[in-house]
Amino acid sequence: MQFDMTKPLPVVQPWSEKFWEGTKEGKLLVQHCKDCNSNIFYPRKYCPECWSGNLDWIESTGKGKVFTFSTAVSMVEPRFMDELPYTLAYVDLDEGVRLMSKIVECDPEDIKIGMEVEVVFVERENFMLPYFKPVNK
Amino acid sequence: MSHGKIAIIGIGEVPTRSMPERTQWDIIYDTCMEAVRDSGLNKNDIEGVVSCAPQAQDRLAAELSFGKLPEELGLKGCKDSVVCNAGGASTSNCIRLAEQWIESGVAKAVIVNHVTVQSDIPLPDIIAFFGKAGVDMQWEYPFGVTYNLIMGMMATYFMNKHGFTARELASVTTALRSWAEKDPNSIFYGKPTPSVDKVLESDMLATPLHKREANVLADGGCAMVIVSAETAKKMGKPAAYKLGESVRYFSGSVVMRDFDQVEEGFRITAQEAIAQAGITKEQINLWNIYLAYAMCHPIMAEALGVCPPGQAGKYFLDGRMSFGGDIPWATIGDAPGRGHTGSGVSAATYVETARQLMGKAGERQIKDCKYVFQNTSGGSGFNNIATVWGRDF
Repeated sequence: MQFDMTKPLPVVQPWSEKFWEGTKEGKLLVQHCKDCNSNIFYPRKYCPECWSGNLDWIESTGKGKVFTFSTAVSMVEPRFMDELPYTLAYVDLDEGVRLMSKIVECDPEDIKIGMEVEVVFVERENFMLPYFKPVNK
Repeated sequence: MSHGKIAIIGIGEVPTRSMPERTQWDIIYDTCMEAVRDSGLNKNDIEGVVSCAPQAQDRLAAELSFGKLPEELGLKGCKDSVVCNAGGASTSNCIRLAEQWIESGVAKAVIVNHVTVQSDIPLPDIIAFFGKAGVDMQWEYPFGVTYNLIMGMMATYFMNKHGFTARELASVTTALRSWAEKDPNSIFYGKPTPSVDKVLESDMLATPLHKREANVLADGGCAMVIVSAETAKKMGKPAAYKLGESVRYFSGSVVMRDFDQVEEGFRITAQEAIAQAGITKEQINLWNIYLAYAMCHPIMAEALGVCPPGQAGKYFLDGRMSFGGDIPWATIGDAPGRGHTGSGVSAATYVETARQLMGKAGERQIKDCKYVFQNTSGGSGFNNIATVWGRDF
């Protein structure tokens, strides 16, 4: 039985290219609407609040808090088996947007709702994926 | 009480099992023919076919989309045929379309059907399908997300917010399986209901979700015949009349989902559907809930006002939603009890709603069942559709 064991890469849209370029410079960028002042995640072609195309980017502090989390122990796709156990979390950034990412550099049992985390970039082929680790770790 | 516009007058179903020896068309024949016979109509009275889109079965999806079902079954009076896809909410949309066809005069009698055969799909293909279905390929999939992880994150949030304990959440599986044990169409029919301890002893999949709290993939199929409420009344047969409906959209991607908005959506859709039916929630005899994962049930129970805030876990743990309990709840056991048939569990739940209102549910029959509340939800939970059904109108 043949399983695809390659690690998946983000399927990028033209309007999210800047986000991924930013990660290569160690920056976590958040899309910003210059008309209605909204911070936007995930990046869109037009602002989902006001449909403006007048969009820009701000650099996130890279800091946030765990909103919720779960640690995978088994039954993940074969391509992720080598990473078990691993924890995914919703992270609320200081800029008021939420993203899903992996929590690294800590024991899964130490992860709590509300835990302060900061971004750390991990290479996968030509991408730098934004993971998070506990602050001061 | 509201005057419903449509009614289910015939049902057909095959047991949910692993049945690689049965083709999809074998199941389509049996379920559709059983539903038509149950309705008392002639096959040529069926003027419309609305099929739930098969998940992970591309060839069948193409065949149904290109109108093969009426031809295969010799439905000589059929005027139109279509496939409808909204994941787990497909059946609700099939019924809505049947309602529109009946109201607009396109068809007087419509078959709504579902079939899934997953057991003959190679494991790598089924893993690849469910690994990506409903998952954002840029912002979720590269991080290793799975449905179990999504539900694990939801469970962690709601345990923290509502104070549910692991035992309480595990008791939901026990409750659902207690119904499944008595359901001849369940994959777990006749199999002993696992105790709360047994659920908690099973392997951890994604914290706090255990293996027994997740779903077993299975094959299955069912069909319903739908006519106008007036026609059903004239026919004088047991029927399930649609009395009320409400829906809210949440988000397509899980990463964008506001869990509090989901809870509020559960609450408001139930309120609106029950109000449209012209009844009160105290008149509901069965809460026929479809949520795919056990851990979502206490959230729904509290949102529906079936139990006081903070008490849902205790209600399940005390066995009040189990077979023999005082709150009839999800009488096919939802997906954890029935077996997961792609988008088919919601179809099976509608068949059960009709079965209960028709008085054909055997050992699981709810006494004097007049009103059933039923919900469905699509994708990984992008919406919630609440409906109310009655045995009269």
